[in-house]
Amino acid sequence: MLNRTVEISLRVNGAETRIAAEPDTPLLYILRNDLQLNGPKYGCGLGECGACAVLVDDHVARSCTVPLAAVAGKSVVTLEGLGTGCGLHPVQTAFIEHQAAQCGYCLNGMIIAVVALLKRNQSPDENAIRDALRHHLCRCGTHVEILAAARSAAGLSRSASHQAGEDIR
Amino acid sequence: MSAPQDRPALHYWSDEDVLLVYREVAETRELYLAIDANGAVTAFNGHVDLGTGIRTALAQIVAEELNVAFADVTMVLGATTAAPDQGATIASETIQITAEPLRLAAATAREFLQAQAAERIGTQPDALRYADASFRIDPSRHPNAETANVFVTLSDLIKGRSLRLPIDPDARLKPVADYTIVGRGQARTDIPQKASGDFLYVHDVRVPGMVHGRVVRPPYAGFDAGPHIGHSLISVDESSVADIPGLIGVVVIGDFVGVVAEREEHAIRAMKVLKVVWRAPPLIPDLNAPETPLRNNRSTARVLTDKGDVETTLRGATTPFERSYVWPYQMHGSIGPSCAVADWHGDHLVVWSGTQNPFPVRADLARLMDMPADGIVVERLEAAGCYGRNCADDVTLDAALLSRAVKRPVRVQLTREQEHAWEPKGAAQVIDVRGALDDEGGPAAYDFETRYPSNLAPSLPLILTGKAPPVADVAEMGDRTAIPPYLISNMRVTVHDMPPIARASWFRGVSALPNSFAHESFIDELAVAAEVDPIAYRLRYLTDQRAIDLVKAVAERAGWQPHIGPFSHGGSGDILYGRGFAYAVYVHGKFPGKAAAWAAWVADVAVNKVTGDIAVTRVVCGQDTGQMVNPDGVKHQIHGNVIQSTSRVLKEEVRFSSTGVASLEWGAYPILTFPDVPEIDVLLMPRQDEPPLGAGESASVPSAAAITNAIFDATGVRFRELPLTPEKVRAALNPLPPPTAPQRSATATRRRWAWPLAGAFAGALATGAAILPWASAISPIVRPAADTYAAATIERGRLAAAIGACNVCHTGNDGTPFAGGRALQTPFGIVYASNITPDPTAGIGSWSYPAFARAMRQGVSRDGHHLYPAHPYTSFAKASESDLQALYAYLMTQTASPTKPPRTELAFPFNIRALMAGWNALFLSSSPAPADALRTAEWNRGAELVEGLGHCSACHSPRNALGAEAKGTAHLAGGFADGWDAPALTSTSLSPIGWTEQALYDYLRTGRSHEHGAAAGPMAHVIETLQPLPDTDIRAMATYLASFNTAASTTTSPQAVIAASDSSASGANMLEPVGARIFDGACATCHGSDSRIASLALNTNLHAARPTNVISAIYQGIPMPVGTRDDVTAMPAFAGSLDDDATAALVRYLRARFAPDKPAWSNVNRDSIGQARAK
Repeated sequence: MLNRTVEISLRVNGAETRIAAEPDTPLLYILRNDLQLNGPKYGCGLGECGACAVLVDDHVARSCTVPLAAVAGKSVVTLEGLGTGCGLHPVQTAFIEHQAAQCGYCLNGMIIAVVALLKRNQSPDENAIRDALRHHLCRCGTHVEILAAARSAAGLSRSASHQAGEDIR
Repeated sequence: MSAPQDRPALHYWSDEDVLLVYREVAETRELYLAIDANGAVTAFNGHVDLGTGIRTALAQIVAEELNVAFADVTMVLGATTAAPDQGATIASETIQITAEPLRLAAATAREFLQAQAAERIGTQPDALRYADASFRIDPSRHPNAETANVFVTLSDLIKGRSLRLPIDPDARLKPVADYTIVGRGQARTDIPQKASGDFLYVHDVRVPGMVHGRVVRPPYAGFDAGPHIGHSLISVDESSVADIPGLIGVVVIGDFVGVVAEREEHAIRAMKVLKVVWRAPPLIPDLNAPETPLRNNRSTARVLTDKGDVETTLRGATTPFERSYVWPYQMHGSIGPSCAVADWHGDHLVVWSGTQNPFPVRADLARLMDMPADGIVVERLEAAGCYGRNCADDVTLDAALLSRAVKRPVRVQLTREQEHAWEPKGAAQVIDVRGALDDEGGPAAYDFETRYPSNLAPSLPLILTGKAPPVADVAEMGDRTAIPPYLISNMRVTVHDMPPIARASWFRGVSALPNSFAHESFIDELAVAAEVDPIAYRLRYLTDQRAIDLVKAVAERAGWQPHIGPFSHGGSGDILYGRGFAYAVYVHGKFPGKAAAWAAWVADVAVNKVTGDIAVTRVVCGQDTGQMVNPDGVKHQIHGNVIQSTSRVLKEEVRFSSTGVASLEWGAYPILTFPDVPEIDVLLMPRQDEPPLGAGESASVPSAAAITNAIFDATGVRFRELPLTPEKVRAALNPLPPPTAPQRSATATRRRWAWPLAGAFAGALATGAAILPWASAISPIVRPAADTYAAATIERGRLAAAIGACNVCHTGNDGTPFAGGRALQTPFGIVYASNITPDPTAGIGSWSYPAFARAMRQGVSRDGHHLYPAHPYTSFAKASESDLQALYAYLMTQTASPTKPPRTELAFPFNIRALMAGWNALFLSSSPAPADALRTAEWNRGAELVEGLGHCSACHSPRNALGAEAKGTAHLAGGFADGWDAPALTSTSLSPIGWTEQALYDYLRTGRSHEHGAAAGPMAHVIETLQPLPDTDIRAMATYLASFNTAASTTTSPQAVIAASDSSASGANMLEPVGARIFDGACATCHGSDSRIASLALNTNLHAARPTNVISAIYQGIPMPVGTRDDVTAMPAFAGSLDDDATAALVRYLRARFAPDKPAWSNVNRDSIGQARAK
């Protein structure tokens, strides 16, 4: 039941990990405090904003609403674990190329959501990209750059109807 | 990490081999630049990077002026130990103002070094070029082979010398024509780390020994003035958190309350459960309709300009216009709630903060902590974007108080709800404009009055602790862009300076955005009245050539077609199209202020005249920023401004309850999301030879007027009050009433538990009691030894306890199994679960098996007192003897808990336990569980489990006025469980899809069925306790229960039910627009159409006769799932996030959206929700 510390095994960024904590502890705090992973961020604690998103068995999950016990035996991947070897994940590279951040607090969730989208749909169209991101909030208004990064990662040429503007005329 | 993150400026002064450039201020030397002998450049600026990329732009300026590579420059921003005090990072002035000394410092250094090098080489400074850390003769100027290899290294010039230069105010700045770094797009230095997770935000600071704090804020949410501030706390009950593991302290100072624990989740729990009693906060004016409160707020008129004769002109006008514009309270809405770490050691304090204002925060800390400022170090790290003042300063002071109290480094992060409630809001604003046309159709007079209730928002802990008086000061900040840009000979502009009402402070486009909404709406209206194209009209009266150039350029870029009056873009079907224009220059700083960049918008909109939905489809935004240091950064800022301000115009307004801020999460305060992002075309005016201007806010300023002017073009209707919610637009476009709720209204089945029946209860039972007055006590025994029972018996008992779900009720409040103490809501009052561990006094350790069996089957305690039928002995009476014996064995071998649960104290007559004897005589049956030889063994096993130990009917059967389960066809036809409704398990179920055996099995095994949804409330605990049962038993229960569903619908498919619900979405949105928005923002992440969990359309609770379970699920959430499954999410509890109004709107929407064939629930409003919450 509640309030009882238990030991739970899970796989985080490819490494088997054992965590002793109460089973209903939100995964977010385990990742940030016990495993010192800074990618997932606390944004709302209600699963609304997406700042804390991680992949659980390749699906997006909002780690603020995932109890630790629910991921026992599962594979969790955070922003830090997306890349392979010394290289970044292509979605991360696309976000850097398109300068898709202002403050960047939401960036974790945006990248995770696009990675998850591309895992289940390798050629998403504009609507699919926007739908995948619709419950990820950005307050700086970086949407234009984020969409450009997502399109680029999806191999989608920049659609004419969403052209993001030009340089000095 | 440890302090300092940046090398303190002091250390540089003792360095040798380094060139320093400084400015002398009040006898101290502020360091701006350090260049070492290897060519590494460190540059210092007192402003901070708020996520806009200013760090990159400042480095470009320094690299350019020094002629060094961009990569050679490192910026140090904001830290009080390192950076010069340049005030708060506000008003988009970093590049325009605070970069100036830095630019001069770099020029000073360049000139000095170049002169020194020239002297050594024996040439003129202009003949030298700097590259690869060396000065060489510039071959383009001296194409002489002999001098090509003559050079002086930077090391030669710097090594061994302690070079200290004051900034030369006359240092020669590099000609813009020679720029190679400034004015070119430069990739930001921070984004690679942000994309990889390596970037260190203030939220990521970890200090050795750090612990976690949380604050508990007072109930006057978001209000900071008045005599009650700092004096509303009545009591804090520290014992309420005593059982929280790792709790370090509860800190109370005035109205400041905080908790500290070793682990973050425990600090959060302590924050939630700490019992704090506050005085009721005073009532506030209705700021949901801010016009009246702002007009009533005490104010001082300040006339900014008064020329010509406004009054006479207006009196003589044939066509006077009087218009009022209302701007709502809005939020900065940082995505990351504010966070800080503090480490206090007596006379020394270090804070890691995301503040905009490192030096002002240091002064606040000195005041709060009674410390000299020089004992305080403010380390500044990036935080979530703020666009003005958020709670970053507050939480820095919170952390300092908690660190001092527990003498440990403490990290504090505010909750989403606290950030929403307490961030100083962007103020509401009311603007009145009177004007008239002259004979030529020009603006004859313009009388503009604006009201702006906002100030600098003193840091909250200062006023909560009484260190600063809770007095609302007046700040003169309502005057931004209050003067219109047009040539009008009779013009008066008045600002009514006033104190804040809600806690408020600057927010992007401070007062200029609302002021320009009025200016640019009004001028548009004059143009229409004058029958002139709106842009042509503006150009007649604009005098500023750069404004004129910008307006023309934007009109051309957008392909503006001059037109007179609305309806220039037509429509199709329900959609009307329109295009609008607005222009503004953002003026900031103390009046008359300084102009930042010029900006102009052409906005295209599509208006659905039926639903009132507005889409901003395309924005052409032009900006004259003067010189752009990083044009990519400027463009990015414009994108951000366009999206954020479109969001503000279409969607954003803070809702208030009668005592405070009520919008506490993103459902109640929605912002623009990806599907609604318009196409944005940015036009950057080429002005690289002009001084640089602030680019951070200007592009927001024309937004509101451009959009409302476009809506006028589409519809012929002017909107002067924001935001443009669909219901507001619909109401204005269609003077018809909005669609009404279905006429049928469900009369909620009133529970028959009614106190007037209490007399009947007493009367009816008194008869029985006369027959069976008291039961006798059974002698106590010594607790049987642990080895009394065979392992197989104990294991069978464990399963029996699982079937009986003993721990659903009997778990201790701290989670100790079987320890009792839980308060169970019954129709007769609170019944406390007993301790059934083998403790001899607190528990049942002294009970013999016969005593146990009597309690289980007859509801009589060992000492002879009667138990209430909250203990389902009427079901247990049907359990097999062997199961009860095994259960006894199991319980007797558990760990004893000495905790005594509270006594159950029901009101008369239920407090007379002896009456239960009569009750038993009437209602207790000794018949065994049903058995049917014609049915399968599985069915019969299921019957035994369901009707016996499983005691499903205890909750799922209705009870009569005396609390006895109904029998016959009413058996399992729906009942009541601890504040929740237990739905019918028979064919009377209101589930839209019949319960099949497989669905029942899935539900009982995993707590979820894809045809129905998830178990919540007490049933979730039941599922959890059923986990040890073998599949065969679960299957048997499913088989037995499915046999009740004789009328299970086979004609309706889940797909059909979902389709019917989906087709009702549009109607539900119109019926309950507020609820629809809350659903979209708070619920649809998980309950949206593409979710992996079952659609709410299939959920019985949405189809039930009353909303009890829906409300309970929203408030309490649904705990972690059991077993292994794909869906790993638990539903969070929204009790602390949604207020009663919001919940009522959401519940009404859920019914309309997901049970469209059912009548609306009656009486779902603030009051009924408030009552449900109180339970």
